[in-house]
Amino acid sequence: MTTLAIKRISASSAPPPGVSSGPEYSKLVDISRCIGCKGCEVACKEWNELKSETTFNFGSYQSHQDLTPNTWLLMRFNEKEVDGSLRWMITKDACLHCAEPGCLYACPSPGAIVQYTNGIVDFNQENCIGCQYCVSGCPFDIPRFDSVTGKVYKCTLCVDRVEAGLEPACVKTCPTNAIAWGSKEDMTELGNKKVAGLKNRGFENAVLYDPAGVGGTHMMYVVPHGDRLEDYHLPADPVASPGPLKALGWMKDLGGLLLGGGLVGALVHYLALGPQRPDETGSNSTEARQ
Amino acid sequence: MNGRELLRFTFRERLLHWLVGLCFGYLLLTGFALSYPSLFWLTLLVGGGPAARALHPWVGVVFTAGALCMLLVWGRDMRWNKEDGAWMRALRAYVRHDKSQVPDSGKYNGGQKMYFWVSMVFALLYLVTGLPLWFPALAGASWLGWVGWMRLLHFLVALGGGGMLIVHGYLATVAFPGTARAMLYGTVTRAWARLHHPLWARQQIGD
Repeated sequence: MTTLAIKRISASSAPPPGVSSGPEYSKLVDISRCIGCKGCEVACKEWNELKSETTFNFGSYQSHQDLTPNTWLLMRFNEKEVDGSLRWMITKDACLHCAEPGCLYACPSPGAIVQYTNGIVDFNQENCIGCQYCVSGCPFDIPRFDSVTGKVYKCTLCVDRVEAGLEPACVKTCPTNAIAWGSKEDMTELGNKKVAGLKNRGFENAVLYDPAGVGGTHMMYVVPHGDRLEDYHLPADPVASPGPLKALGWMKDLGGLLLGGGLVGALVHYLALGPQRPDETGSNSTEARQ
Repeated sequence: MNGRELLRFTFRERLLHWLVGLCFGYLLLTGFALSYPSLFWLTLLVGGGPAARALHPWVGVVFTAGALCMLLVWGRDMRWNKEDGAWMRALRAYVRHDKSQVPDSGKYNGGQKMYFWVSMVFALLYLVTGLPLWFPALAGASWLGWVGWMRLLHFLVALGGGGMLIVHGYLATVAFPGTARAMLYGTVTRAWARLHHPLWARQQIGD
């Protein structure tokens, strides 16, 4: 287990604020610098000791078709025509470690999902009950359920490396420095600089992807074609806690009060009126007549 | 059963009632444990969180099947008629234990019939809202939003069911002594029948 300072725990009261706050980290993925080598995928598998999976050619340069409980990082290659020329819309598909984590909000099991003050959102499989609500709560479709173990898995942002002062394995291995690592402030500044640079080079729609609907993320993207987010498999407006879950929150409080009130009501009714007993003596006399 | 007592529920009816009741108790307990973090410890009573999550839907299947059997067994007896409407209008008197103001009821009074039919509708709603929660990851992110709504509805129906259970349990035990034995041993006394179900008592005794 880590010794990192905790910010939020699933299905629990938040820890008191201000106890400890270290630096908040972020990855910055510059899609325009990615050469598609998939070294990060290999580094992720190696460091996290994830089983390799049989892959096959399905007509794409992409290695696997989808994320799985054993594949926490997938470089998605989407071939698209932009202004008459072919473009690879590459996305480093893995957990974005939201500041407002939809998975954590959806989780009913205390301690199964933890958010540390450094920004990492991590699953503790020993507390996971396998309900898969996190899967439905994630606006990025990241967590994957393993029906054999009955638990969900995803990128940990190499929490064990970060805790020891190292960068995540994917960052370490990237040969073109397409993945940068540092404090959230530094990475935001660097990202904005990169976006400005891309705009100078003619990518006038370049954006820094750090969606506000989830409070910002701890893996941000520099997206060359920011007007075509869906081609990058990135939702334009992800939301952490959809309306029904918020309503569920206060309805649970209200419901608990109502049920408690019902029990008290039954008690009051009993004390006020007592039991209504059949008149056994009276019935005996009528029956005697028969 | 001696000659002075009346048979109210057959063995088959009692078995069905307690099978469904046991399922409902388990479902309510595990459901509330997973809804309220402060009650999560309740899962320890039934083998821990993963076991509760794994078994809840299957117990729900048994519950649904039991509810369907109840519909087949009791549906005819529960048909609504004019007297039941009159009974419902006298609900305030019934709550005050003022039986003189309550129309005589047959085997089941209007309140019991209402309880039965609301339970049947709830059983259907548990099923409809529960199925998507069994496999929330089936369709990935396309379920986003939907699962939240289903969780909300499933919880609200369970809340209603829990509230009804309080009324049911209270009336059948301490409020009306002599009632619970009908569902345990099958019989009630004649005096009980005359007090709570006078029309039924007259039919049974034949006077």
